[in-house]
Amino acid sequence: MKNKLKFLTKQSLDKKIKTKWFKGVNILLLVLFVLIMNIDRVIAVFGGDFENQITVYVKDDVNIYDSFAPAFEEVAGSLGEAKNFKLEKTEEDIESLKSSLENEKEKIVVHILPDEQNYMKAQIFSYDEVGTITTQLISMSVNSVKSSVAASASGLSNEQILALTSPVEIETILTNPDVENKEGQDIVAAGVMLVFILPCFFLIIMLVQMIGAEVNDEKSTRSMEIIISNVPPKVHFLSKIFASTAFVVLQGLLLVLYGGIALIVRNVLGGAGLAAVSGEVTGQLGEILSLVKDTGVFSLLLQGLPIILVLFILSFIAYAIVAGVLASMTTSIEDFQQLQTPIMLIILVGYYLAIMAVQFDGSLFIEIASYIPMLSFLVSPVLFMLGQISIWQMLLSTGIMTVFTWFIFRYGLRIYKVGILNYSSSKLWKKMFKSLKQK
Amino acid sequence: MLKVEHVTKYYGENKAVDDLSFQVEDGKIFGLLGVNGAGKTTTFRMIIGLLEPTEGKITLDGKPIDYSVTDTIGFLTEERSLLTKLTVKEQIIYYGTLKGMNEKEILKRLDEWLERFHIKEYKDRKIKELSKGNQQKVQFISAVINNPKLLILDEPFSGLDPINVEMFMEAIREFKKRGSSIIFSSHRMEHVEMFCENLVILVKGKSVLEGELKQIKKDYRKKNIHIKGNVDLDALRKTKGVLEVIENASEIIVKIEEDSYIEKVFDVVKKGSDITEFSVEDPTLNEIFLSKVGETYEK
Repeated sequence: MKNKLKFLTKQSLDKKIKTKWFKGVNILLLVLFVLIMNIDRVIAVFGGDFENQITVYVKDDVNIYDSFAPAFEEVAGSLGEAKNFKLEKTEEDIESLKSSLENEKEKIVVHILPDEQNYMKAQIFSYDEVGTITTQLISMSVNSVKSSVAASASGLSNEQILALTSPVEIETILTNPDVENKEGQDIVAAGVMLVFILPCFFLIIMLVQMIGAEVNDEKSTRSMEIIISNVPPKVHFLSKIFASTAFVVLQGLLLVLYGGIALIVRNVLGGAGLAAVSGEVTGQLGEILSLVKDTGVFSLLLQGLPIILVLFILSFIAYAIVAGVLASMTTSIEDFQQLQTPIMLIILVGYYLAIMAVQFDGSLFIEIASYIPMLSFLVSPVLFMLGQISIWQMLLSTGIMTVFTWFIFRYGLRIYKVGILNYSSSKLWKKMFKSLKQK
Repeated sequence: MLKVEHVTKYYGENKAVDDLSFQVEDGKIFGLLGVNGAGKTTTFRMIIGLLEPTEGKITLDGKPIDYSVTDTIGFLTEERSLLTKLTVKEQIIYYGTLKGMNEKEILKRLDEWLERFHIKEYKDRKIKELSKGNQQKVQFISAVINNPKLLILDEPFSGLDPINVEMFMEAIREFKKRGSSIIFSSHRMEHVEMFCENLVILVKGKSVLEGELKQIKKDYRKKNIHIKGNVDLDALRKTKGVLEVIENASEIIVKIEEDSYIEKVFDVVKKGSDITEFSVEDPTLNEIFLSKVGETYEK
């Protein structure tokens, strides 16, 4: 019977992966990954107004251009807009400047004027609408200069002005010696974990739908009778569970691979050239990894990874069991699609709770949810990464999930045995509850 | 030898099979007849182990039917039990492997069967692309690929033209010669008559007639007299013991209650002219079936 289980599992897996659709979808996924990762470059390829460099002419009546120019460049740099703006001082009179703006979309005039109460004020002249970034850039630069001018007018020395305008350094000191300072770790950790669980969310949806389609196909063609006359329902059920779990694990690994390829493509498009790709990727990955490492997330992830993986696989199995049982009860794929809606909602609840865990620090409700089977694989790892639960608590979630999986397999199999050979929806629930009592 | 002993099956309150007993010896073909809903499929499902009898027992060569013996059984269902997205080759490998066979052996036998059924070119074609008749051939191959000891055929000729029916019959006869026990169900009584040595007629799960076909026909008292020539039909109809007179284009068929009325009919026929035939025949299985089931048989 072991050989038949192996054969059925292989057959079921082949049915999923040795198809044109699987290959087609995966090519599409790879293309989409590359596109998403390089979306800014794609937008740039198609071009638009955003590409044009705006020349900002400054008519300075306050005599602060020497301070304004570096301030403007600094702010433009911090906004990532340095390439898009060019600054020029002008002595032309304002009226001729205004008339020179006719039909010029890439030209702006900033007139800085003295102001009795507020030291200075500025006017922006533009032929067309002024973008938010442009306004913000000019406003921040003028205000920055104004602070310096105001400080200087108060008779402060350069050192004093520098000290006044420099940012305040804030140091966090924890008085509890047992608590490490993990500043910034929570956001990074949650980010890392959400990257993990988002594909799992989609993979489970795929898994549920595939099992439903396969069982219904075998039922509707009556080939189920031939199969079950040769192998026990338990073997058939196990083959579906193993094949679908293997499929989602494989698909998950492929997604990771596509992510890597997309990163490499990004570097190639960035003009690094093939020879430099390796180094660039290492550099970029290195940046991400060092951020993850510096915040302590990496060691935390490594510490919890074995348990997280076990929890993921157990959850795949549990969802496969539930999907298999529900599919066995239905007589058509349309019925199954209706019945699978609650499963989708359960996954969605888990996903939202995982996201909300960052916002609701220490929430008892979310902590309880981390022990609830079917939700725990989404919530528990995020809480662990956020430091809200310990590894032991995550281990407890895994233990609960193991017991739950065994329990639903044991009782689900009883329903499955009856369901796969049932072709009538009459008194369906009564039949299924009755089957729970049969060993 | 397959033995079904006092088998009863309930679905809730509904009794689908009622105290059914029969046996199929090695090298024999057994007919299981009945209208739709008579309990044939339930009986087949119990034989192959898909359902547990509520009472009674089913054995193959003295052993209860479980997964240790199912590799020696072949089952052809009434509906197409094929995975239509697979190719013919994939489908047969699938079912053959479930019967415990290795791929090499399956492919060897598959080639032989495809050749025999003249569908060699469809080996790598998807089943959904085949005609109904060719799908039935594939289904038949899937049922016999393991050279079964017990072969269950539920409506095997469904969707086949007369030439292919003959082809199937030849194959079934071969399995009989090899010593397989064959259970056969069909709505076409002429097929059952051609094949089955023994049969059971089921009505509402209960056997209403069982035994050897020859003996059943012999024991059935009503006879048919075939006459060719000019005969007074009114006189025939008024003759004692005559149940019905049917006038066909080439002959007259007189149905009588029993053998003893043959002479009376002959007396009337003697008075006619140009008589070229007067023969007494047993009733057809269809007639026996209709009379036992008591309703029009659905073809």
